[in-house]
Amino acid sequence: MAQAQDETEVDPALRARLQLADLYARAAQYDRAIPLLEDLYHTAPELRAIQQKLQQAYEAVKRYDDVIALLDRTLKQAPSPEMRAEKARLVYLKGDEQAAFALWEAVLESAPFEEYTYRILYNSLIQVRLLHRAADVLTRGRAHVGNPQLFQIELAYLYTLIGNHSGAMEEYLALLEHGESQLNYVRNQLSRSLKQEGALDASIATVERHIRDAPNHRSYHHLLAWLYMEAGRYREALRETRIIDQMNPDKGAVLFNFARRAAEAAAYDIALEAFDELLTRDPDSPLAAEAQLGLVDMHLLWAETTQERSFGANGTRLAAPHQEAALEAFREFLRRFPHHDRYAEILHRMGRLQQDVFHNLDEAAAIYSDVIRTHADTEAASRARFDLGRIAIARGRLEEARGIFAGLVRTMRLGAIAEEARYQQALIHFYRGELDIAAAHLSDLDENTSTDTANDAIALRIVILENRGPDSLHTPLRMFARASLFLRRHQSKHAIAIMDTLISQYGGHPIADDARFLRAQALRTAGSTQEALVAFGELPLVYPDSPFCDQSLFLVAEILDVDLGDHARAVEVYTHLLVQYPGSPLAAATRLRIRTLRGDGV
Amino acid sequence: MACRQKQCTSGARAAVLLAGLSLLAAPQVSAQDILIPMDARQSNHLKAYGVAYWALQRNVPVEWLLNYRGGSFLLEQIAELEDELAIRGVHYERLNGAQAARIIADVESERANTSLVRLETPPRIAVYAPKQTLPWDDAVLLALAYAEVPYEMIYDDDVLGGRLSEYDWLHLHHEDFTGQYGKFYQYRNMPWYIEQQRQAEEAARRHGYRKVSALKLSVAREIRHYVFEGGFLFAMCSGTDTVDIALAAHATDIVPDIYDGDPVDPGAIDKLDYAESFAFMGFRPSFNASEYEHSDIDAGPPPQQLQSPALDYFTLFEFSAKWDPVPTMLTQNHVATIKGFVGQTTAFRKQFVKPSAVLLAESAGREEVKYLHGPFGQGTFTYYAGHDPEDYQHYVGDPPTDLNLHKNSPGYRLILNNILFPAAKKKKQKT
Repeated sequence: MAQAQDETEVDPALRARLQLADLYARAAQYDRAIPLLEDLYHTAPELRAIQQKLQQAYEAVKRYDDVIALLDRTLKQAPSPEMRAEKARLVYLKGDEQAAFALWEAVLESAPFEEYTYRILYNSLIQVRLLHRAADVLTRGRAHVGNPQLFQIELAYLYTLIGNHSGAMEEYLALLEHGESQLNYVRNQLSRSLKQEGALDASIATVERHIRDAPNHRSYHHLLAWLYMEAGRYREALRETRIIDQMNPDKGAVLFNFARRAAEAAAYDIALEAFDELLTRDPDSPLAAEAQLGLVDMHLLWAETTQERSFGANGTRLAAPHQEAALEAFREFLRRFPHHDRYAEILHRMGRLQQDVFHNLDEAAAIYSDVIRTHADTEAASRARFDLGRIAIARGRLEEARGIFAGLVRTMRLGAIAEEARYQQALIHFYRGELDIAAAHLSDLDENTSTDTANDAIALRIVILENRGPDSLHTPLRMFARASLFLRRHQSKHAIAIMDTLISQYGGHPIADDARFLRAQALRTAGSTQEALVAFGELPLVYPDSPFCDQSLFLVAEILDVDLGDHARAVEVYTHLLVQYPGSPLAAATRLRIRTLRGDGV
Repeated sequence: MACRQKQCTSGARAAVLLAGLSLLAAPQVSAQDILIPMDARQSNHLKAYGVAYWALQRNVPVEWLLNYRGGSFLLEQIAELEDELAIRGVHYERLNGAQAARIIADVESERANTSLVRLETPPRIAVYAPKQTLPWDDAVLLALAYAEVPYEMIYDDDVLGGRLSEYDWLHLHHEDFTGQYGKFYQYRNMPWYIEQQRQAEEAARRHGYRKVSALKLSVAREIRHYVFEGGFLFAMCSGTDTVDIALAAHATDIVPDIYDGDPVDPGAIDKLDYAESFAFMGFRPSFNASEYEHSDIDAGPPPQQLQSPALDYFTLFEFSAKWDPVPTMLTQNHVATIKGFVGQTTAFRKQFVKPSAVLLAESAGREEVKYLHGPFGQGTFTYYAGHDPEDYQHYVGDPPTDLNLHKNSPGYRLILNNILFPAAKKKKQKT
């Protein structure tokens, strides 16, 4: 206000010259601005505006002695802590660090019990990035003023800047001491600094220490759970989440949200535990149905991650704990939530699990029929019909399957299910040896090459078109089709027998390499690993120009690598593949596998 | 699916049955030499450099056939070489002794602008880069990592601790030796900026400097000394001009107050000492703190109408392979015109390049240099402007370039030419 008065009272000529000096200064023409300002200062030394402009101009050209002298004159007339701190800063910039520190100290000693003293010093010190000293000043201020809650945000900020993460966390915890209202603010601030080296560990250790002293502080547990999640320490995060949930039960929302985050981070085991705990502790929670589905998904994802299989290579049933648990979780969902919006979809998914994982066709068929009967006009019902068709093929009831797929095509006409049904129809014709009809169906399908179905259709059509003869019945191709059906029905031995006959009778036929490849696949499916190894291995030697050569070599290497654990020989075969077939589409995967086995870390 | 030639002899079948699968890895037809062509036939140019380095590590000399099929490599066949080439996806050709001799004779012939340089020792490579993860990628690190060329990362403490002498080759990329944190002031509240500033300030304090600019100047001077004593320096993007600016400004303060707390020296321009810098002279630093530019050395992106990866190109100069082997090595490529790319430093204004520097590539029709090289004391420096040869305009936060998608990148080849150049055996200059 005093300054405003000063300026309103100056005469117009002086004001015009001041404005001109200001223009020079803004244009960095200090050689013009400074003489003008000095002249103005001698004319009206009492005007703050002129002093300030001159001070700024001196500082801009690093004339620290001049600016300090100017400040000293002002300080004699009206000393203030702000100006004294400013002088200290300028002395520091001049290079006299010890004198600057003494001046700052003197400012502090002039009013050590006033909060504003410390704020002035803080602002002065951070201008020259003396961050440690600024933190020290604020800490002392807190003690001298006698208010431990002072400067919490400033100190947390300073500690973050200087990498004192445990110090920053102490301040944030102090902010949270009286409630959770600042929790989001604290998390927001921390999220900016946690990527700094050591920040996460230091922050966690600090919160853990505080929780030992104040175990019932809910916001501390919230913060710690969040920090554990950020650190990927999901089990510990779950432990904290349990504590939060027990402190203030909220119908499972905390556990549910935690489980979802753990699932997103692929910590399936932990997510599973959290969903399970929610259901056990609060079975009537509004989130119970979603949690039950969470159990299903976690078991299935876990099974996929661990490559769990319910059947061995030779068809023997294996223990598949996660897949079995997923089935049980499906059943529980259907029992407890019969009116759930997703009931039909879940029922259908359970049928798929029975069919594709457990090969339990009767149970799957019963489930699909149930879906169709109880939810006739849903997408789940259409999918169930499709899967009933697949079951009919698996049982060898091709006519029944054809009818199902034809019905689907007729009713749906367009869309993915209709396309898949058309392809299945073509396959049925192929299995039956109705090759021309199959080819005609397939030619209608191969227009949209962006879909998997179209690509499968193209591949099958090529097999049909290129492997006809030698007789008018296309006997070798029909044999191949029959063997393919047996393989699909998990009847590997029949498939192998047909392929053996085909190879011995029609070894020179174009389909012979396809037959050998199919035979090798069937041997592997049947658990005859060594025989499969030889079968895949001989294909490139017998048919060096076959398009299956690279695939066969890859599978030889894969059997050595995965099934037999002979990594050294696997690397040899993978390398041989690269040398012999450098342009193979499998080259990239082969290189990656070699690198992995060699431990190249690429 | 169509099967073509079919059934082989019963002998082959018997061999399969008898020998099982051991036949699959039977030794190849023996050959005396391996040619790694670097022309358009090469399937993976970048990995080819890595294989050359791999061979040098095993004491196998590599003949670099300058200007022969894009700067091909000729190596003596050793066990595992072919496997390694196959595993890395590098195309090669087997040569018998006569074929190899003919190629060497052609390359050595006076009629062709080709030459042969023998590479013998794998250079020890240091990349000057902070350990801190920054939200932009570093083309030098990407190139070395993709080519599988080993390197060590060093930073201020290592340089000031005298470790540069342990290396033959020093690579710089997006660095700021002026102490202005890349002039990324707009990002000052981002965690990475705060961390970068904290680490720099701590390092400055550790080494007894009040300002980061003083620390960086000290590092720049160590680098200058290293090159003067015979080291090789390769720099890209802002690593090029900022090291020169910092060196030239050794006696003044060119850093605006928002970066170092005090204003620019009003007499800074007059105090610039261009004799200290490697490649540039006569330039003026930018004192505008918020301008994303360190000086007028950088010509900036091309004119608006050319600012497109489809239109922006630069051209490599051709040198006499026999008389100027070093510039020739640095410009080996399978194309003569290369896609342009911008960066904090996109191209050097020709008017500021010292006469002692050799221009290796320029943007046609513009007074701009993209790639240059020069001797300094016993060593050399090479500057390559732009940030990422395969990402026309790489923004902060963009994902790193996947070099699997750019195996034949001519722009990245220029980076990798630099790693092999110190391995070259010095030949007596023809008189």
